[in-house]
Amino acid sequence: MKIRLMLLTFLVLAAPLSGCIESASTEENCTVLPAGHEDDGTLRILTYDISALSDEMLEDFTTETGIPVEMIRVDDAGGILDQMMLTKEAQQADLMIGLDNTYLPTAIDNCLLQPHETSQENITSAAAAFYDGPLAVPFDQGDVCLNFDEDALAEANMSIPTHLNELTEEPWKGKIAFPSPVSSSPGRAFLAATMEYFSLESDGDAMSWWGDMIGNDAIITTGWTEAYETHYTGGYGEYTEGHIGDAWMTVSYCHSPGVEAFYSGNSTHSTSLMIDHASFHQVEYTGIINGAAQINGARLFIEYLLTPEVNGNMPENNLMYSVLEGYDLPETDGYRYHADVPSVVTVMDYEQIQANMDQWLEEWKAATQQA
Amino acid sequence: MPRNSELVGRGFVVLSYVVLSTLPFVYAMARLQMVTGQTPLEALVNFPEAYGAIDALRFTLLEASASAFLTVLFGFPIAWCLGRYQWKHATMLRAVFSVPFVMPAIVVAMGFLLLIDQQSLLYKTGLDLRTETGVIGAYAQRTGWSHPGHFLALIIAHAWFNLSLMIRFVEPTVARLDPAWEEQMSLLGQGQSTFGRLRHLWWPVLGPAVLCAASLSFLFSFTSFALVKWLTPFNHTLESLMASYGGSAGIADYRVDTSEIVMSASIVQFLILLSALYLTSTLQRRHSSRFALVSEHGAQASRGPPTFKAKVTVYAGFVFALAPMVAASTASFRIRNKTDTGTTYTWGIEAWNAAWAGNLSTLNVAEALANSMVFALGTLIIALPVGWILASTIHALEISNHHRLAKALDVATLLPLAISAIMVGLGVLLGVLKNMPSLFQWSLLPILPHVILTVPFVVRIMLPAMRSVDPKWKEQASVLGLSPLRTWYHGYFSFIRGPAVVASSLTLAFSLGEFGASWLLVRTGSWDTLSVLVDTLMSRPKFDPLVQPTAMAAATVLMLLTFFLFILAERFRAEGEGGGF
Repeated sequence: MKIRLMLLTFLVLAAPLSGCIESASTEENCTVLPAGHEDDGTLRILTYDISALSDEMLEDFTTETGIPVEMIRVDDAGGILDQMMLTKEAQQADLMIGLDNTYLPTAIDNCLLQPHETSQENITSAAAAFYDGPLAVPFDQGDVCLNFDEDALAEANMSIPTHLNELTEEPWKGKIAFPSPVSSSPGRAFLAATMEYFSLESDGDAMSWWGDMIGNDAIITTGWTEAYETHYTGGYGEYTEGHIGDAWMTVSYCHSPGVEAFYSGNSTHSTSLMIDHASFHQVEYTGIINGAAQINGARLFIEYLLTPEVNGNMPENNLMYSVLEGYDLPETDGYRYHADVPSVVTVMDYEQIQANMDQWLEEWKAATQQA
Repeated sequence: MPRNSELVGRGFVVLSYVVLSTLPFVYAMARLQMVTGQTPLEALVNFPEAYGAIDALRFTLLEASASAFLTVLFGFPIAWCLGRYQWKHATMLRAVFSVPFVMPAIVVAMGFLLLIDQQSLLYKTGLDLRTETGVIGAYAQRTGWSHPGHFLALIIAHAWFNLSLMIRFVEPTVARLDPAWEEQMSLLGQGQSTFGRLRHLWWPVLGPAVLCAASLSFLFSFTSFALVKWLTPFNHTLESLMASYGGSAGIADYRVDTSEIVMSASIVQFLILLSALYLTSTLQRRHSSRFALVSEHGAQASRGPPTFKAKVTVYAGFVFALAPMVAASTASFRIRNKTDTGTTYTWGIEAWNAAWAGNLSTLNVAEALANSMVFALGTLIIALPVGWILASTIHALEISNHHRLAKALDVATLLPLAISAIMVGLGVLLGVLKNMPSLFQWSLLPILPHVILTVPFVVRIMLPAMRSVDPKWKEQASVLGLSPLRTWYHGYFSFIRGPAVVASSLTLAFSLGEFGASWLLVRTGSWDTLSVLVDTLMSRPKFDPLVQPTAMAAATVLMLLTFFLFILAERFRAEGEGGGF
């Protein structure tokens, strides 16, 4: 009785407050909002844990510009969007670093970024193809694709799949780990790749393939880390605590085998599955938040992020490709040698992602839950 | 008779705390209601349709119940032996058994993963809880139960985590029970058999304490997140489900599905935990009265040195309590070295150098340690007096026969433990954004959630202690003509000094180990605490072999600091002073 009374009190308290909170704006034309926080001279950067933004690099920026930097970190790219959406009415950061091309349209549609002028002259066409407007600038890129354990396949005397449908067959039962597209950005990117892949086939249906994968005991994890580190047999995970090693294949980057080799004295038994259209070109962006206080600092930081000294070192510092012309992966310890380059990668345009991503996620959830 | 100004002050503190601790939930619920268009009742009805919710609820109930049972199974014999005999290093033993409770869950998870991995002793004995080969695999195949090894690892880790609850609740009662009672009981017909003594003496005296510890174990296992994430990767608890999808909850016209999951799951979790807390509060009251009854006879256990059986039990528990921590510390010196000829491990201090220099993180260990200490001290300065005032108010209401009000306030102080950390984070975020966005730039903001989360423990520790103080002692002290302050000190405070020290050390340790709320609320790198630093490092891709050992080095610093605090607290707590939560 008392518990019921307490609950009722809560419900009564909760009900009137719900009306006080305004709904999100649906205006088409965005206006530049006033600063959501006080400008105390510090540049606040909203990002996930990007290794490239080292302490040393931030100190160099402060030494060069006199602007101190403070990092506001979230879990991943999705977390950046969530945070900006939640704090839309009073943004707490000036610059976002890390939204990828599967999230950027939602951020732009919701007026979360403001225009700025930054030269994009030296940026590769692959990085600039998805979006080259004034609201966001690419800072790194890579192709998301399936990685597999060569040794495991050789031991099981299995051939390398040439079509995604082969993964729904018995030998692959319970042997593939996918990060969920609902909560992981590489997961989203791979979902987009499968949409493209099956749309090119006359009787292809991506959702029925996903349903079949679940039926074949595919492992779905919350994020990339669990899939790659805990389940995948081909990566560094086998040397970490808690490794289960029940998946011979997972979603990662096509150049992940190169990263493995780079940190392992030029040795790896992981490689990428090179099937046309079964990979997705991911580009990560930086942009000034609509509601920023330290706009000048944010603009200077974007320029700094695109300098050859910083961006050219993305492969070592952030384990991704640079977006600058003329920069490739280093050859040290087999980094470039083991990094695979897909011959035909899925490249989606802005409108495709903008129009379809939410619906794909809903369909994916329905397909995987039903299965 | 309290003065008016005292009543007003007390009322203000009580009201502020209740509002501060419940408002985030109300804000979050209101926002979720607006986003989903569902009333809380509709969300409750729609719970079975929320993505993954039913599976999560089933798993949560199962693991929390099993964990509570295992906590009693592991903890009771240790508490019994510890309380019944005189131990040479009782202070140190108590500190070791207390530390697990305040360890950051991610460190515990890493420690247990090390204990069950393929290089571990357990694995070599054929018990493979991780990859589930051998006996465990055969059992899984025969029963069709997927991943029993993971489940077992989780409930053992929960039992480890909650071990101190059993010891803190049960040990003081065992220690203070007059041996004459047992002797008298054995002379009676009902007490001649062990079962008879158990039924007629031990269960009435210890039962409420055991059940109280079990219900709190259930509660903490129910809300477990990091241990579930790492030890049972194929399952979700309601809390981990909300954490996975909660980031995008509460945003209008965007990912309504996640708001639906969080709203439904948080209401179900709230109702279940509220029931568990109500039970805890009732049991604790009963435990207090038993405890007082026992202490009236005032006998300090003096049954001499421990027997061989007692030694085996306590030292086995000691090894169990230390094992994950030692494993995690050892891992900070072990560096992977992979070449084209194979993988070897070398021992060295490279990771400690990296941790100290901050090579792999925004802050180095010393800076994160300083932040942790500032937040912990700030939390102590606020949480201890607030908890004290709340406990004394509840006690004052009880002795003035306002039992209903006392019970309502008692349960209200426990509410922060029933509310999901996701809801607290979302609610505080919305509340601060709406009322005072500039607060986000205030570097001491993390103290707020730390206070909200630690006050319930201060109340839980202080309330039974206050109940056991006889008002006559104060009256006697005042007759001696002492000043009001000295009367209060000698007639009141000196009797609850032990629990106050325990509450302080627990508050400090909780704040040091706290991770969830500060991570949700404040994500500014330069304010990172040690526990956030450990998690940040552990979440990074570990291609670089130094990442994990560096995280373990930071975790070791945190463990040592916590351990030191408990040793210090135990030194201040006189033998037999009790001070269970």
